[in-house]
Amino acid sequence: MSGQNKKTPDQEKYQQLEQKHETKRPVLKNCIRAFWVGGLFCVVGQALTYFYIYFFNFTEQTASNPTVATMIFIAMLLTGFGVYDRIGQFAGAGSAVPVTGFGNAVISAAIEHRTEGFVLGVGSNMFKLAGSVLLFGVFSAFIIALIKTILVYMGVI
Amino acid sequence: MKKIIGMVLIIMLITGCSKHESEEAPLSLVKVTHPTPSLIQSDHRDDDAELLQSIEKDVEDYKELYDAAIVKNKDQILVAYKVKHLQRFHMKKIEKKLKDSLEKDYPDVEFIVSSDFKIFLEVVELHEKMKSPEFDVKKAEKKFNNIVELQKELT
Repeated sequence: MSGQNKKTPDQEKYQQLEQKHETKRPVLKNCIRAFWVGGLFCVVGQALTYFYIYFFNFTEQTASNPTVATMIFIAMLLTGFGVYDRIGQFAGAGSAVPVTGFGNAVISAAIEHRTEGFVLGVGSNMFKLAGSVLLFGVFSAFIIALIKTILVYMGVI
Repeated sequence: MKKIIGMVLIIMLITGCSKHESEEAPLSLVKVTHPTPSLIQSDHRDDDAELLQSIEKDVEDYKELYDAAIVKNKDQILVAYKVKHLQRFHMKKIEKKLKDSLEKDYPDVEFIVSSDFKIFLEVVELHEKMKSPEFDVKKAEKKFNNIVELQKELT
C-alpha cells in the first residue's frame, strides 16, 4: 500500500526533530573495538595452539581441536563470572563472532533459564541461540562437502 | 597479592610442563635454525651424507621456504620445512611440488615431507639429542618412527 509510505507534514517535522536529537551510532569506533578485541582473542588462541604444540603431542593440524575446546571453556567460565558480558558490551561483534561467542551463548541462556528448573529451563533453553549456530554450521558444512565431492568427482580439483 | 600468586602458579605450571631439554629446538619458532641433516642408520655413510647435503641445498633453493630440517633412516628421508608467511596460502601446492621434484631427482629413497611446525620441532630435537653419546641408534630410530607416525595423524 503506497499510502502508508507518505508522511503527513507533522510526521516529517517530527522525524527531522528526532534525527536532530538522536545519538549517532559510532560505527567506525565499534568496528575498531570489534577488530582489536576479536584480534586479541585470536592472539590468545594462537598462543594456546603453540602451547599445545610445544608441550603436548599435537601437530599444527591437530592442535586446533584442543585450542577451540579451551577457548570455549574459558569463555564459559568468564560468562559465569560475569566478565564476558562486559567484554561483549565493549567489543560487540568482536566478542560474538569468534568461537568464544558460542560458549557465551550457551552459558548465558543456561543462566537465564535456571529458575525454570533443570529440565524445562536449563535443558530445553541452553541451545536456544547456539542451536541455530550448530544447525546452520552442520548444514553449510554438508553443502560445502557436497560441492567438493562433485568437483572432485568431475576432476576439477 | 592474589594476582602475584596466581601468576607465579601459572608460570610454574607452564615451565613444569616443559619437556624440551634442548636449547635450540624451542627457539626454532622465532629464528632460522638451519640444522645440519643427520643420518640414523646407513650402510654408506659418506655417500648418504653427500646426498643429504644436496637435498638440503635443493630444498632451501625454493623461494617459498626458508628453513629445512632433514633426517635419514635407512631408505626413508624426512624433510621438515618452514614456509614463508604469505606463501602459507599455497601450502598444499608447495608440498606437492616439493615432494614430486624430490622423488624425481632421487628415485631410490622414500620421501616424507611436512610443513608442520611440530614435525620441524621434533626433527630439530632429534638432531640435538643425536649429538649426545648416550642417545643410541635404537632410541633415534624409535623417535624417528614416532615423528613419522605423528606426521600421518590427521585428527
